[in-house]
Amino acid sequence: MVRFAARRVVWGLITLLLVVTFAFFAINLLLPYDFAVVQGGQRYRVAEQIRVELGLDRPLWVQWLDYMWHFVRGDLGQSFDGSRVWSHLWAVLPATVTLFAVGGIIAYLLGEWFGRLVAWSRSRILGATSSTVSVLFYSAFPPWLVFVLLYFGANRLYGVRSWFGMGPVGGPMPLGPVVGVLAVGLPVAFIAGIVLRSWARRHQRRVLGLLAIPVGLGGLVVGLLASGVWAEAINRLLWPGAVVAAVALILIAFGESMLVMRAGLTAEMTEDYVFTARAKGVPERLIRDRHVAVNATLPVISRLFTSVPYLLGGLVIIESAAGTPGLGSLFLASIEMGDVPIILGIIAVIGLIGLVMRLALDAVQAAIDPRVRTDGGRP
Amino acid sequence: MTTPRAPYDVAGWADARARLRNNKMVVAGVVLLSVFAVLAFVHPILQATIWSDRQAVYRPVTGHDPLISHPSGPSLDHFLGTDPLGRDVLSLMTYGLRPTFLVAVAVAVSAGLVGLVAGTSAAFFRGRYDRVMTHIADAVVLLPPPLLFLVASKRGLLGPFELGLIYGLFAGLGSAAIVVRARALAVMEKPFIDAARSVGGSPRWIITHHVLPGVLPHLAVVVLSSVVGALITQGFVEFLGIFEYRYGLGNLVYNAITYQRALGTGVAWSTLMAGALGISLLASAFYMISSGLREAIDPRRAKRRV
Repeated sequence: MVRFAARRVVWGLITLLLVVTFAFFAINLLLPYDFAVVQGGQRYRVAEQIRVELGLDRPLWVQWLDYMWHFVRGDLGQSFDGSRVWSHLWAVLPATVTLFAVGGIIAYLLGEWFGRLVAWSRSRILGATSSTVSVLFYSAFPPWLVFVLLYFGANRLYGVRSWFGMGPVGGPMPLGPVVGVLAVGLPVAFIAGIVLRSWARRHQRRVLGLLAIPVGLGGLVVGLLASGVWAEAINRLLWPGAVVAAVALILIAFGESMLVMRAGLTAEMTEDYVFTARAKGVPERLIRDRHVAVNATLPVISRLFTSVPYLLGGLVIIESAAGTPGLGSLFLASIEMGDVPIILGIIAVIGLIGLVMRLALDAVQAAIDPRVRTDGGRP
Repeated sequence: MTTPRAPYDVAGWADARARLRNNKMVVAGVVLLSVFAVLAFVHPILQATIWSDRQAVYRPVTGHDPLISHPSGPSLDHFLGTDPLGRDVLSLMTYGLRPTFLVAVAVAVSAGLVGLVAGTSAAFFRGRYDRVMTHIADAVVLLPPPLLFLVASKRGLLGPFELGLIYGLFAGLGSAAIVVRARALAVMEKPFIDAARSVGGSPRWIITHHVLPGVLPHLAVVVLSSVVGALITQGFVEFLGIFEYRYGLGNLVYNAITYQRALGTGVAWSTLMAGALGISLLASAFYMISSGLREAIDPRRAKRRV
């Protein structure tokens, strides 16, 4: 098992090197002008001097070797304006990762719950409307979605903020609040939701069970309010741009997870074990939640995990449309400046996140599904 | 109803066609797609017939109607209203649909071909070639294509056709190749392949009559869903309009949003909606066909109700 895991990790890292190599050549060949021209302008000598200083006069493959040599040691190199690429990324990554984690988890939970509900009810109207709506969400054009949300929601949000006495926010979210949200807030929310749900199940209170997600979110807010750093976090999370970006991400990802969950559930519903469970008199709800859903969630999770790079790319678009500081605005600004190292760094980080997600998925699958486990080296 | 035929009487393709026709998602998607196909080709016809006496007013990019104030809502003269600069939205939309359609077709063709060749060859040759192809596919899946296209569009070289081709190359080498390879490997392990071989079936016969039918529907699912991503990417490239002004549906959304801010007029809802819904509905038509297809080809969904 350990050997298997180690093998996967090593091959994963080699894949990442391949990704970075490809991105390196693609971007260097595609960007029309380099930073030297931007800085030096029409003055040819100055531009040439800057180019020599930045090492851009060397052949491309030497630059590539240099970049890879730094990359394998965890160094993303130097941005063209002289600062480290990591410092740029650290400034915006926390905000984007928080947005992605919060939005993605909420979208997944909503999609799973709703897909379960729709697949199990045989109502045709519900089925047709829900699939239409979620297909439309999934294929919505992000800038449009963001504009509509801002147009109808942002002013009210500003009203709410001033009512609570929250001041304006500048710049992306710093690291402290992010750790608060990810390490404390979300687990608290998760545990609160699970405790409430199991309590409701034991005492046969179905209505209370439905409250699990709202209570979890409430737990998140309460957990965050408990300290000064977290008030800052809430302030950042409730900034209209951030809220709009999160809601847009939730709507888009919700459409996908709901459709996949529903399709998976409908496929499982005709299996023999469902028939057996019915025959021995298991209540419908238990068949749905304990038998069918358990089998159907694995494909949903695997699909969401593998679409992480795609969703992150989408989030960059959403963020830049919503004008909230994050990976998106950094990316567009770097394209505007022709700052190749930062663009490469962003793509490498997205690839790294996708890779970590995929390795985590392998681990989760091996832990949950005995069919996936292999003892040999075969992947 | 006639007497049901025995399973071995129903040919594979006829069975597939019947199942597709019964699938509402597929039917809805095809209907939506054909509506858009008509819209994409209707622009010159409208210019020649309904708009013929005032052609300059309805010209897509430079037209202007001097008789009314802009932006205006739907009216008899302008079925979808006019945008803040006084151009007819229906004309803009039908005109802008053409590059969008071109992208969709280019992605579908190139992703399909590349995915089919890469996936089946990996499954057929196996060994080291297969391992190399699998690693390439793994790497390509980790790349976020929309971002690379934003970089590429900075140069202004990417027309809709090129964008479609390159996006299709990514989709084909990545997800499509993975799916096709897995599927082809599964099919080639089946006993009927051995049977076909033992009665003297040539490799060509086996590939065209046994492997391809098993692989094609799965390929179609992946390819169609990658069209969705390509359409949204193209819309966004147009929306940002970096470097070079190309006309498309993304521009409609961009114009509606920026002119509202710049000119201080009300929101040009008809312009905004025409652009956004044009992209989104066309994309969802492809997605519907894809996900309907996925349901229809799942053998576990064959008629068996408990």
